[in-house]
Order: sequence, then structure tokens, then C-alpha cells
Amino acid sequence: MMKKYSLILLLTAVFLPSCMKEPVSQPNTHEGNFQSLWKIIDTRYCYLDYKHINWDSIYAVYHQKLPSATSEVKFFDLMGGMLNELKDGHVNLYSDFDVSRYWKWFQDYPSNFSSELIYTTRYLGKNYRIAGGLNYGKIDNGRIGYIYYGSFSDPFSDGNIANALNSFSTCHALIIDVRDNGGGSLEYSKQLASYFFKRDTVTGYIRHKTGDGHTDFSTPIEIVTPAHKTIQWQRPVAILTNRMSFSATNDFVNRMKQAPNAIIIGDKTGGGGGLPLSSELPNGWLVRFSSSPMFNADMQNTEFGISPDISVALTVADEANGIDTIIERAIVTLK
Amino acid sequence: MKKHLIIAFVILFNSILTAQTTQSGNEQTYLLTTKTNTIGFSILSLTDPYLSPLTYTGNGIQFEHESRRFLSVSNTRLSMQSKLNLEGGFLLNPAGTSGMTYLGVYYSWGMHYHFRPVKGLVLLAGGSVDAGFGYKDVPRNINNPGNVDLATNLNLSGIARYDIQLRRRTLKLQLAVETPLIGWMYVPLAGASYYEMFMLGNLSGISHFSSIVNKRGINPKLTIDVPLKSSVWRIGVGYQRLQYNANNMVFDRKEFSFLLGTTFDGIGFGGRLKKAPGNFISTNE
Repeated sequence: MMKKYSLILLLTAVFLPSCMKEPVSQPNTHEGNFQSLWKIIDTRYCYLDYKHINWDSIYAVYHQKLPSATSEVKFFDLMGGMLNELKDGHVNLYSDFDVSRYWKWFQDYPSNFSSELIYTTRYLGKNYRIAGGLNYGKIDNGRIGYIYYGSFSDPFSDGNIANALNSFSTCHALIIDVRDNGGGSLEYSKQLASYFFKRDTVTGYIRHKTGDGHTDFSTPIEIVTPAHKTIQWQRPVAILTNRMSFSATNDFVNRMKQAPNAIIIGDKTGGGGGLPLSSELPNGWLVRFSSSPMFNADMQNTEFGISPDISVALTVADEANGIDTIIERAIVTLK
Repeated sequence: MKKHLIIAFVILFNSILTAQTTQSGNEQTYLLTTKTNTIGFSILSLTDPYLSPLTYTGNGIQFEHESRRFLSVSNTRLSMQSKLNLEGGFLLNPAGTSGMTYLGVYYSWGMHYHFRPVKGLVLLAGGSVDAGFGYKDVPRNINNPGNVDLATNLNLSGIARYDIQLRRRTLKLQLAVETPLIGWMYVPLAGASYYEMFMLGNLSGISHFSSIVNKRGINPKLTIDVPLKSSVWRIGVGYQRLQYNANNMVFDRKEFSFLLGTTFDGIGFGGRLKKAPGNFISTNE
């Protein structure tokens, strides 16, 4: 009996590990890395079906170019080119020597923003205040509060916002300028929007891939924008946008579309509605890709951007005269 | 007798020793708790598909505190054991372009039945329940920079201990093996971010019942206790292999450890010259 028990103990220790499968991964060759990248996108990228992308065809096109990638740089460019077929600003390939990117979502459009303009004496001037990531001051002879927020990666606190809004207590309206804000934290997006809601509001939905199929998605989960408990701005607010309002900024604009006193003015946002995740190739390159599609309150995809309520472009003539057409239109609208 | 009284007094005020006592003839007997503290240097290999499809390898250090004592002085067949293990490690992906920091804490409590088939050989069979928490941090990742290991298991556990008699000392060779049978584990949703799971509250599908169907593991540990002048040193090697799958992901862990520590009964019995008196009952028999 004891011998049997000892034998079982020994056999368990020796043979149980051998029953387990070793993790499999592609070899670190051009072929292996190509296959890895193609498969990551094929199984985990969330917009193949929505964008009507034939990823198998793209495989065929780029795989036949593989022999021509005779150096690491050429191979990187080939892989980056394949990713650019996705036309997604959230898709990048990171190597030690370069980052592939798709920037046509804003490069093919007018910028509609000049940072030089907003810091002229007509607007913020030189004596604006800075609270967290927010640059703020009064414009239009003190009648309107103006906040420029350049990145949702820049933190701000309730105290920052409270101080800014208190300084606007004599203003009848507020402008939040998120032009050229390329995104950052969704938590800051939610927090900034929360000051403009009177009650918790479902402002969108999110799904995630549940399988390898291009249409394998989870049921939508509500994205709620909470009303801030103590800090509320209940006067009119205009959100200024351009094509470089991307990712978390796109999310902020989508939330503000539902805010009771808000109006969106400027150009269509750049989109970036897919929450990105990352993965790795055998050679250690990192790939970022849209993983979880986000939707507006009507379950419409926000990947291609959000149209403004009032579409305005920065004209060359106004810019030459030191006038920001979009801010001016906001001032008029808020009156 | 005076010596015994002093020892008994110390025992009363020391939590290392159990309060359980009994009269055996004219002599009181006490249960000793055998404590073992080991530090280990590990070669680690972790595969976490939520973070990366690649296997990260590196090194870790660990500290383990183990204690064991019999349930009662009248029953030297059943013992209980507790283990606390703390571990940290740093690993790299195969290309060395991304690092992972691993931190883990593990606690288990179990009971064993002692068989003594022949002189010098003790076999312990039993089980344990455990709870483990680990955190893996891959700062290069975007929106999935970390993942949590969280699980509790009911384990099958066995130990074989053999006394090797040398001229001046007795070495104890021990093989301990544990394998999870059933339990619960947290596994994140494969394609979802922690933002969706924990900020938006989509927690469906992260809680899993585990059994040998979806979780297999083994952690044999071979050690030898060497009594020196006034202490017993433990040296050994350990191996751990754990594989579990849920949410279309297969997680894998391999660890090979070199162990070094000390083991002692009560507050300092040990070694050839500081043996416990006969009325102190140790599981380190």
C-alpha cells in the first residue's frame, strides 16, 4: 500500500507536467512575424467587418511581397503598410527604430486650428491661467469663459475645474476647446463631461471581441456619464472640435452630444472610436490595434468621427487677421 | 525538572508553540510547531495571453514560511500545515524588448495523515486549501499593461520523508508534491480592457470554476534537511508547473527554484546539540 502510494506520488510529480501542452508561438523569422501580425489583426481587430476590409486579400497581397523585404527596415515598412490598409489612427507597429502610423484621418483635412491664434490678446492672451492640463481665461470682454484642453493625458482635478468655473462666475457661457487634442484617458473624458450633466446619462456603448470571427462581439455594455455631485456648469457650453480631436477626445465629444446645454462647433472629429489594446510579435515589436468598438447613444459606431452640430472652418482670411473663425462662431452662437 | 519548568514557562508566552498540552504519566507533553523559512532563487517562465502571446522568462526571488504541527498530543497521525509564500520577479520577452514585473503572494492551509510504513520513512497524504494573488505588469502595453492572478484551490498533497542515517547526523530527504483539484479563479475577458471590466462593470465571464479539466498544476519540491551544530538547514530544489485556460486563453507558468532555509521546532530546538526533550512532540519526527 505504501509502496503504491509512493509510486503514485513520484509518477504524478514526473508525468503530470508532461501532460500539459507547451505554449505555441510563431518562430522569429520574417515569415513567423508576418503570420503573427496577420493573425493578431484577423482575430482581434474589431473593425474588419464594419470597414468591409477583406483581410484575406490583404494577406495575399503582402505575403507575396515578403521575399522583397531583405532588411529589417524594409520588413518593418511592409508590415506597417499592411497595417495602414486598416485606415485606423489607433493602429501602430512599434519597433526599436520606428513607429508605423496612419495619419490620413487628419492630414487629408484642413487643420482648423492655430495654437498661435488662441494665445493672442483677442483670446487667451499671455496672462491666462493654468489649472492641471487646462489653460483658461475670459474672452469676448469677459462675457465668455474659455478653456483650452490640449490632451486627455494631462491630468486635472475637481479643484482645478472648480477654480476655473468659479473664475467664470460672471460669464454667461463657456467654450471648451478640444481641437488638436489627440486623446488620452477615458477617465478624464468622463470626468470633464460630468460637470455638464444634471443626471447620470447613458451616452454610449462598448463591445469587445469574444472570438476569432470578425463578427464575434459581446453584447453592448452601457457607458454612463455621471452627473458630478458638487460641481455643475448649467449655462451654455460650446465644444470646439477639429479632425485632430481623436480617441478619448472623440469619446468626450460623444458624451457632450448628450449634455443638456452643450453644442458642438467646428469640424468633424477624427474618430478613433475603437479602444486600443496591444500585442507582440516574436521579434519583440509591439502592435497596437482597435480592440473594442465604442458606439454613441444610438448604437452608431464613432470610429469615423462625430459630426458637429454647427460645422465651421477656420478661414485663411480670418487666420491672417488674427481671428479664429470657430471661436468667433461659438461666441455668436452662445449669445 | 527545573529546566523543564523554564522551558514550559517560555512556551506559554510564545505563540510558536501550541497551548495544547496533556499529562502523560508524570510528564507533561507539548506539541511543537515545526517552522521552516526558506528563500529561493527562481528561474521563471510566464505565458499570459492577456498581456502577450509570447512567453516571458526571467528570474525571481521568493520567501516561504511553513509551519506544521500535530492536531493533538494524543493523535500523532494528523498534522496541519500552513504556508505563506511571497515572490517577486522580473522577466523579459524573447527579444528582450519588453519587461514584465511579477509580484505574488500565496497562502495555504492543509492537513496530512502520517503513515510510517518502515522505520525512517514517513509518508504524508492529505489536502490543502489555498488562496493566491499575483500581479503582472508590462508597462509597454497599451490599455492592457497589467493582469491579475487571483485564485483559490483545493489541493491534493503528498509528502515522502526519508531519514538518511550518517555517522554523526541524520539527514531528512523530503519530496513534497501538491496538485490543484478544484477551485475558483479569476480570468480577464480576452478582448476586453480593464477599463471595460472594472470601470464600466462588465464582470460577466471573469469568474471561473476550476478543476483538472481547465487547470492542471504540480509543484514537486525536493529538499534535504541537514542538522548542524545548533540549527537545521534546508537546501533543495523546487519545480512548479501550472497551466489553466479560460476565456479562450491558455495561461502557463513554469518555475525552477533553488531553495535554502532553516527549519526548527519551537523556539530553538534543532541540530545535534539542541534536541527537544522527549516530551515535546514534533511533526519533524
